[in-house]
Amino acid sequence: MGLDVGKFMKNPEYEIKIITYRDIFQVEALERDRFGKDYEKLSAFIGMSKNDMAKMGLKSGDRVKVANNNGSIVVEVRESRRDEPGGVAFMVNSPWSNVLVSDDMGGKGIPEFKNITAKISLVKEEITSLESLMEYFRKLKQV
Amino acid sequence: MVTVMELYQLLPKTNCKICGESTCMAFAVALLGRKRNISDCTPLLEGNFKKQKEKLEVLLLPSAGAEETGMIVHPELCTGCGNCVVACPVDVANDPRGAAIGCAPTNDKVIFKVVDGKVMASNIKECRRFGKNRVLCYACIDPCPTGAIEFV
Amino acid sequence: MATCPGCALLCDDIDVIVENNRIKETRNACRRGAARMKGCFNRLAPSIAQKPVDIESAIRKAAEILKVAKSPMLFGFSNSTCEAQVKGIQLAKKLGAIIDDTSSFCQGLLIETIFQEKFRTCMLEDVRNKADVLVYWGSDAQDSEPRHLSRFSYFPRGESRQRGYEEDRIAVAIDVRESNTAKICKGHFYRIQPKGDREFILALTDALSGKVPAYEPKKILELAAILKKAEFGVIFAGIGLTYSIKEDMEILVALADKLSNFHIMPMVGHYNMRGFNENLFKETGFVNRVKFEGKAVQHSPAEVLDTPSRGVTLVHDDKYSIVEALRNESIDALLVAGSDPLSSLPRSLVRHLASIPVICIDPCVTMTSKITAVTIPCAVSGVESGGTAVRMDGKKIELSKIIESDYPTDEELLTRLMEAL
Ligand code: SF4
Ligand code: SF4
Ligand code: SF4
Repeated sequence: MGLDVGKFMKNPEYEIKIITYRDIFQVEALERDRFGKDYEKLSAFIGMSKNDMAKMGLKSGDRVKVANNNGSIVVEVRESRRDEPGGVAFMVNSPWSNVLVSDDMGGKGIPEFKNITAKISLVKEEITSLESLMEYFRKLKQV
Repeated sequence: MVTVMELYQLLPKTNCKICGESTCMAFAVALLGRKRNISDCTPLLEGNFKKQKEKLEVLLLPSAGAEETGMIVHPELCTGCGNCVVACPVDVANDPRGAAIGCAPTNDKVIFKVVDGKVMASNIKECRRFGKNRVLCYACIDPCPTGAIEFV
Repeated sequence: MATCPGCALLCDDIDVIVENNRIKETRNACRRGAARMKGCFNRLAPSIAQKPVDIESAIRKAAEILKVAKSPMLFGFSNSTCEAQVKGIQLAKKLGAIIDDTSSFCQGLLIETIFQEKFRTCMLEDVRNKADVLVYWGSDAQDSEPRHLSRFSYFPRGESRQRGYEEDRIAVAIDVRESNTAKICKGHFYRIQPKGDREFILALTDALSGKVPAYEPKKILELAAILKKAEFGVIFAGIGLTYSIKEDMEILVALADKLSNFHIMPMVGHYNMRGFNENLFKETGFVNRVKFEGKAVQHSPAEVLDTPSRGVTLVHDDKYSIVEALRNESIDALLVAGSDPLSSLPRSLVRHLASIPVICIDPCVTMTSKITAVTIPCAVSGVESGGTAVRMDGKKIELSKIIESDYPTDEELLTRLMEAL
C-alpha cells in the first residue's frame, strides 16, 4: 500500500482580500426560502479571477477553507464571470461571508462588511451548510 | 421546433388534473398550442420542479417567432430589470406614454414585457431586425446586464 | 395597480393576477419584487421557547420579557410600514428602550446628512425628466434596486431628455468590482481599490478645483470634465460608498459643493428604511441609534437635546447602535421586527443574541426566529396589508393590500404588545 502523502501535507495557504456584493438571484432565493438549497448554492462560494486561481492552484468547483480570526467556512471556488484584474476575491453578502467579518469597528457601529482579509486553502471538507451555522448558535445557547 | 413529448417529459406527470386538463399529456398539447400557460400547472410552481419549469420556459419562449428573427430569450438569466422594455425602439414608438418613459407598458403592442420577474417577448415581427427595412439593432442586447437576450 | 415592497424603489405600476387568494402572476415587477410579492416558503408560527402557542400568549410573553428587562432594545423596522414604525417608536418610549434600525449599519449616515440639508437632493421624477449625468457610486442598482435604471435614471425618455439614453444621458459607475450596473455604464466605469473611495473623492475634488489630482490624473480629469458639463447631475450613493467613507461625510459634502448642478440620492435596499429614518428624525432629530430614558431620549454619539415641549430629553450615542449594543453586551432583551440579525450581522457580534431573550416579529421563519424566546408571525406588509412607505428619494408611497390574510399586521402586533404592558 502506497503512502498517501497528501494526507500529511498541509495544502498551501494564501492571504486574500474579500469584497462582498449583492446578487439579485441570491436575494430572490432568500425571499423564497432562506433555508433552501438554492440560497446555499448562491451564497456559499467565493469568486476569483482566473489569474489568482491559477497562482493558487485552484480550479472552479474546488472546495476551499476561508478563515481568519473571526471564523472559518468551507465554500466552493468559482472563476468570476468577468475579467477581473485579480488581487481581490468576491463573496455575496450572506451569513457565510458574515462569519469572516470582524466585530471591531472602532466603536462606530459599522462593521467592515466589504473589507475582509482571510487565508484561503484547498480542502476536501464539505461546504459549510446553513444548518451548521445555526448549530454554532445553538451551541452558544447551551453554554 | 419543440415536440409535445419534450414538454411532457418536463411536467410532473402525476395527472393531478389541477390545471383542468385530464392528463399531463393533454396539458402538454395545450401548452404547445399556446392555449395554456406554464403557470396553470401549479404543482410546477411549488416543490422541486424549478429546473423543469425553467427548461419549459426556455422551450416555449423562442418559438413565439424566433425562427424569423432569431431572437432567443433566456428567462433563467433575466433579472426583470426592464431595461430592454424601455430601450427597445419599437416599444418606445408603440407605447410613448408607458414603456418609453420608464413606466409599465400600457398596451399589447410592445415587444417586451416582464411577467413573474422575467422578460417575455411577443410581437417579434415588429422587431427592427425583421422585415424589408431591417437594421442591425442592439437596443435590447446592450442594456441587458446578464446577456439574457440573444439573436442567432 | 399595486405597489411592490421588494425594495425602496417602491414601483407602483405592478399588475397582479390573484387566484384563490394567491398571487398567481406579477407583471412589471422585477425578479426581486416578484419573489417578495409571491411570498416565502416558510411562514412563521407563534411560539414560546420554540414551542407552538397561540398569538395571544406569544404577545403576553413578549410583554413580560420587555417589562422585566432593565435595558431592552427594539431593532429592525426597515421592512415595516410607517404606521408600524411610529408604533415601534412609541413602544420604545413607553419602555425607556433603545431603538435602532438596519440603517445603523447601512445608509444611516448618508440619510442623516441629507436630512440635515448638507446636500442638494431631488426626486426620482426629476431624474427621469432632467438628469443627463448619472453617477452610480458604490451602488449596484441592477442587483439591488433592479428597475432604477429603466424606470427613472438612464433608459427612459423624460421631458428634457427626449432622445433617450444613447444621446441624452451619460451613466458612470465607480465601484470596486465590475457589477451589472458597471457593465451597463461601459466606457464610463471607474474601478477603485477597496476602501479607495476617499482617495478618489479627494482627487476628484482637486480636479474640479483646477488642481492636478494626485491619483490617476488622466482618468480623474476625464471624469471631472464629464461632471462639469452636466446640466442636471445625480450621484446615486450606495452602501459601497457609505461603508468606505463612514463618518467622513464632510469630504462628500465638499465634493458636492464643487458640483453645483449635482444632487445626491441615497440608494436604499429595504423598502422602508428611509421611512424609519424620517419617522425617528421627526420625533427625535436623529435617524437611528436612540435611547429613551425615563423621560429622556439618548442618541449616538452622545448628544443631549432638550425638547421640553414633548417633555423629553434626547441623547445620541454610537453605543446605541445594534452593533455596539451587541458587542458591549449592554442590552438584556431584544425585539426584532422584520429583520434577521443572525443572518445579516457579523457572526462575531451576534454571540450576545444567544444569551438574552429575543422576540421576533416576522412573516417568515428566519435564522434569528429559530433561536428566539418568542416568535410572533405577522402579515407581509405591502402584500397582505397596506400602509405607507417612503421611497429612497423621500416620496411617500401607498402600499397595497393585495390578498387577504389572517395574520395581524406588525402595526397591530406592536399596538397589542403595548396594551399588554
Ligand atoms: S433588436 Fe431592437 S427592435 Fe428588435 S427587439 Fe431588440 S431592441 Fe427591439
Ligand atoms: S434587460 Fe435583460 S435582464 Fe433586464 S428585463 Fe430585459 S432581458 Fe431581462
Ligand atoms: S425595483 Fe424594487 S420596487 Fe421595483 S419591482 Fe423591483 S424589487 Fe419591486
